Amino acid sequence: MIVTYKWLKEFVDFDLSPEDLAHRLTMAGLEVDRIEYIGAELDAVIVAKLLSVDRHPEADRLTVCRVDNGTDEVQVVCGATNHKTGDLVALAQVGAVLPGDFIIKKSKIRGEVSQGMLCSEKELALADESAGIMILPAGLNLGQPVFEALDLKDVRYELGLTPNRADCLSVVGIAREVAAMVGRQLNLSELLFLEEGGPIGPETSVEIVDVDKCPRYAARLIKNIKIGPSPDWLVKRLETIGLRSINNVVDVTNYVMMELGQPLHAFDFRLLRGGKIVVRCPGETEFTTLNGQSHKLIDSDLAICDAEGPVALAGIMGGENSEIQPETEMVLLESAYFDPISIRRSSKRLGLHTDSSHRFERGADINIVPVALNRAAALITELASGTVCKGMLDIYPKVIELRKISIGLEKTNTILGLNLTLQQIQEHLQSIGLNLCVGDKSESLQVEIPTFRPDLEREIDLIEEVARLNGYDQIPVTMPVGQTEGVTITPAHAAVTALREKMVAAGFSEVINYSFVSADVDDRILLASDDVRREHIKILNPLTETQAVMRTSLVPSLLENVSRNLAYRSLDLHLFELRPVFFPIAGQDLPQEPKQLTAIMSGGREPLGWCQGGNLSDFYDLKGVAEALFEMMYIPDLHWDAAGSEPYLHPGKSCTISSGRKRLGVLGELHPKVAANYDISTPLFLLELDVAALLEAADNKFVFKPISRFPDVYRDSAFLLDENISAETILTTLKSSRSNLIEAITLFDVYCGQGIPDGKKSVAVRVNYRSIERTLTDDEITKVHNRLVKTMEKVLAAQLR
Amino acid sequence: MKQRLEQLLTSAKQAISQAETESSLQGVRVAILGRKGELTALMKGMGSLSQEERPVIGSMVNRIKTEFEELFESRRVVLHEASLSARLSHESIDVTLPGRRSLQGSKHPITLVMEDISAIFAALGFGIAEGPEIERDFYNFEALNMPKDHPARDMQDTFYINEDLVLRTHTSPVQIRTMLKHEPPVRVIAPGTVYRCDSDITHSPMFHQVEGFLVDKHVTFGDLKGILTEFITRYFGADIGVRFRPSFFPFTEPSAEVDMQCVICGGSGCRVCKNSGWLEILGSGMIDPEVFKSVGYDSEKYSGFAFGMGVERIAMLKYGVNDLRLFFENDLRFLKQFN
Repeated sequence: MIVTYKWLKEFVDFDLSPEDLAHRLTMAGLEVDRIEYIGAELDAVIVAKLLSVDRHPEADRLTVCRVDNGTDEVQVVCGATNHKTGDLVALAQVGAVLPGDFIIKKSKIRGEVSQGMLCSEKELALADESAGIMILPAGLNLGQPVFEALDLKDVRYELGLTPNRADCLSVVGIAREVAAMVGRQLNLSELLFLEEGGPIGPETSVEIVDVDKCPRYAARLIKNIKIGPSPDWLVKRLETIGLRSINNVVDVTNYVMMELGQPLHAFDFRLLRGGKIVVRCPGETEFTTLNGQSHKLIDSDLAICDAEGPVALAGIMGGENSEIQPETEMVLLESAYFDPISIRRSSKRLGLHTDSSHRFERGADINIVPVALNRAAALITELASGTVCKGMLDIYPKVIELRKISIGLEKTNTILGLNLTLQQIQEHLQSIGLNLCVGDKSESLQVEIPTFRPDLEREIDLIEEVARLNGYDQIPVTMPVGQTEGVTITPAHAAVTALREKMVAAGFSEVINYSFVSADVDDRILLASDDVRREHIKILNPLTETQAVMRTSLVPSLLENVSRNLAYRSLDLHLFELRPVFFPIAGQDLPQEPKQLTAIMSGGREPLGWCQGGNLSDFYDLKGVAEALFEMMYIPDLHWDAAGSEPYLHPGKSCTISSGRKRLGVLGELHPKVAANYDISTPLFLLELDVAALLEAADNKFVFKPISRFPDVYRDSAFLLDENISAETILTTLKSSRSNLIEAITLFDVYCGQGIPDGKKSVAVRVNYRSIERTLTDDEITKVHNRLVKTMEKVLAAQLR
Repeated sequence: MKQRLEQLLTSAKQAISQAETESSLQGVRVAILGRKGELTALMKGMGSLSQEERPVIGSMVNRIKTEFEELFESRRVVLHEASLSARLSHESIDVTLPGRRSLQGSKHPITLVMEDISAIFAALGFGIAEGPEIERDFYNFEALNMPKDHPARDMQDTFYINEDLVLRTHTSPVQIRTMLKHEPPVRVIAPGTVYRCDSDITHSPMFHQVEGFLVDKHVTFGDLKGILTEFITRYFGADIGVRFRPSFFPFTEPSAEVDMQCVICGGSGCRVCKNSGWLEILGSGMIDPEVFKSVGYDSEKYSGFAFGMGVERIAMLKYGVNDLRLFFENDLRFLKQFN
């Protein structure tokens, strides 16, 4: 909503500066988004007096003028002919910027100095055409900006209104708020006009078929109209609030809508078939609005019809078939009230949002219908020389009874934390035009709500008005007392935080990607045609096809991140994302939103430095990170199974991870085909874990193990064995001896190559021995270690090297 | 014998003072006190001395031995210090070479801000709750006093999954879910991801909010001001100005927009605050009785307030990030700055 300072002044007398007004409006809940000072950009154009006008010695068509600008005498060369000594003129001083970014500079014109320019109305954008320069009325102060002297300055406010304040979608509505602020009355004077056009009755009629959707419809008939351009003041004012001038009649309807908040419509009466109005739902039909768009109406759309069919979309937009024409002479003027929900549904469905529908769907004022109609009729007689027919057709079958609400003193003070008296509450409510019902209760007030405030429905609505009018800044700042119960941080939330911390500590940067992706990502990561992850939840109204479905895997987004970062030459990438993915559930249940932890690793293992770097990360770097996560969560019985990982992973360099039988996720190198799909040419490793599975597998019953106070002894042994025996098998075999003297077994070397026969490998292990109760003897240890070696020889055909 | 002992001491003194290294000094000691040393040899000859001479010579030997040891030790300390400082003066490293580093990870700035906000509210006694991102119309709208066809639904452009399911447009449905599960008193915040069908330079179709609410007996609008002022000053600084002005949200009444003094210009007016000196930072209000009705709270008995804030906006103000898109491009050069 746009208003100007001066327009508000027409309805309320106030002494606030333009800036104070903006502040007060904002603090009253009518937020000022923007202030614009109209005319201020021309402050360098001032009133000046011509002291002398002489012909230019070198040019017949030019004059050399001496002008008094209030402080100095300056010389200006001028090309006009309509000026004479003694005239007051508009002097654009050196440095002034005229409309069209025309900068005034000091110059020499054919040898004569010119310190500025005498302006025409056109040059000041005050008129489309002008002959000669502007001669100002006598009596103005020299040196004063011309726009100020002519009272052409104004301040324009753009308000960001909240949807509840339908009453402020008009200048009068905002003026009512200003009146309350400054404690003055709202001036609403009615324009008078004569009804000289004969009775309306025989000429036309109005019938409302659908009274629920249109509770009130009023019309007037105006004859002998001369359609033409609007006067300058009206054109300017409409322009100021962002409306284009059409013609005098249409402009009046728009002007009154902005002034009073009541949308109006003017029909060319000759184009109304049967000369009558029927408000009804015409059913499924095609209809062209006056912007040239064709619409398919459905049964529930309300239309204004004539004897044959629709001539306007009720409350939204008029029809092409009944539009005001340059030759229109007779106008039927409509002022009506429509049901907000009905307007909203039609406007939304048809994609037609207009100033009119905006007001109706937020709730117009049913009682201003005749007032606005008369106001417009008066203006049309004045500006388009119309003759108004006698009488108004006002169909209003069920007169609305005013709502009555009571507001309690104690309740108000309890909610707000204030100590107001009933008298103060009463004054606040009356200041915005609410009426007090008779009765003398000491603890509450009964208030009658005028129809311009449809948002006031309950006691709490009135309490809000009191808070607002009293000032939010008047409410003392306090702290709530009392204890908290019930909700704390869940273990799942804490675990997610811990996982994130661990990943960051391991050198990974967290990314956040959109939850929606393109439907083709599944192909890019080679998902099988029957993979459940191909069943995406689809968005009905996506912004773009690349954000059309909810993701079922974090992998594609992370690969996009890699590709983008590689393009910017960030080559050492340790990234992770910890967010939900989305799976549909058949039936009525909400979709599943399991959280996933997905990490990728590529490029250098550590930062490059003078004493480090240069090594690329590999599978085991990322596996180490996974192991650290599992250790932190006390996840027991881990298995790394090379079979059956994921189609987007390298089949020979990937595995599924499980704890017991519970699948936790996968780890592996990215499949070269997928890498190619994302333009990734360096080896990339990927870890994907299901957070819920981790939580279920976590052993929360952890208790500490006592530490020994005795020294440890270790023995290293290297074994030669078949190269396809896995490390897991070797370690399991070593651990199978279950001696309680073994503290740790570490596999510290794996070697194939020179000195090792084909098909074999050398594996070195260190076994640490320690007892909790005593220092071990050499003999004891040797005995246990030899048994271990024997087991290796027997079970795995290993040879001690 | 006496004479020989005196001579020995004199020559030993000289030898000690002439020794230039710890090892040559050690040589002097061996020559005197070693198994074949001079003093050792003299002491061996003591057996041939008379009864009278023996104690005299014996105590003389002990004196000479002590004196020698003292001289030896003080010379040894001098020589050791000298050789150590000579060695240390040759040993040095370039301390300006960079240290050996491990990789530094980083939390996403959005995560950082959500954690910081949560920590402040946790200290004020608030628990943390979560809810689904794909939400029912009931929780996202209906129960929050936004029936179908309510113009307030226009404030939030919604992504629909079907007639009943939406991508939640705010974290307020968590308020409903929590109130349905818990009787007052409750103090909860709900950080989370939300979605709106809007994308341009200042709008992202996915963004983050922290919702919070408190319900108890006798909670007033003054308490709302208290908690939110406390939060803003803890997060942005104790001397920052805060103001509350009327606004509208369907699920609160009275509703308040909370502004803080512009952190960029300090309130004098700049591009970021559109020359107003103030920045909108929170939406808030007393929870509407309609909301209490839909969760079965008695609004005659309880009152409460709710608030919500945009995490991206706060992150932009806190860290001076000037482009919303940076949060979702996941460029490492951006992310790495938040470690």
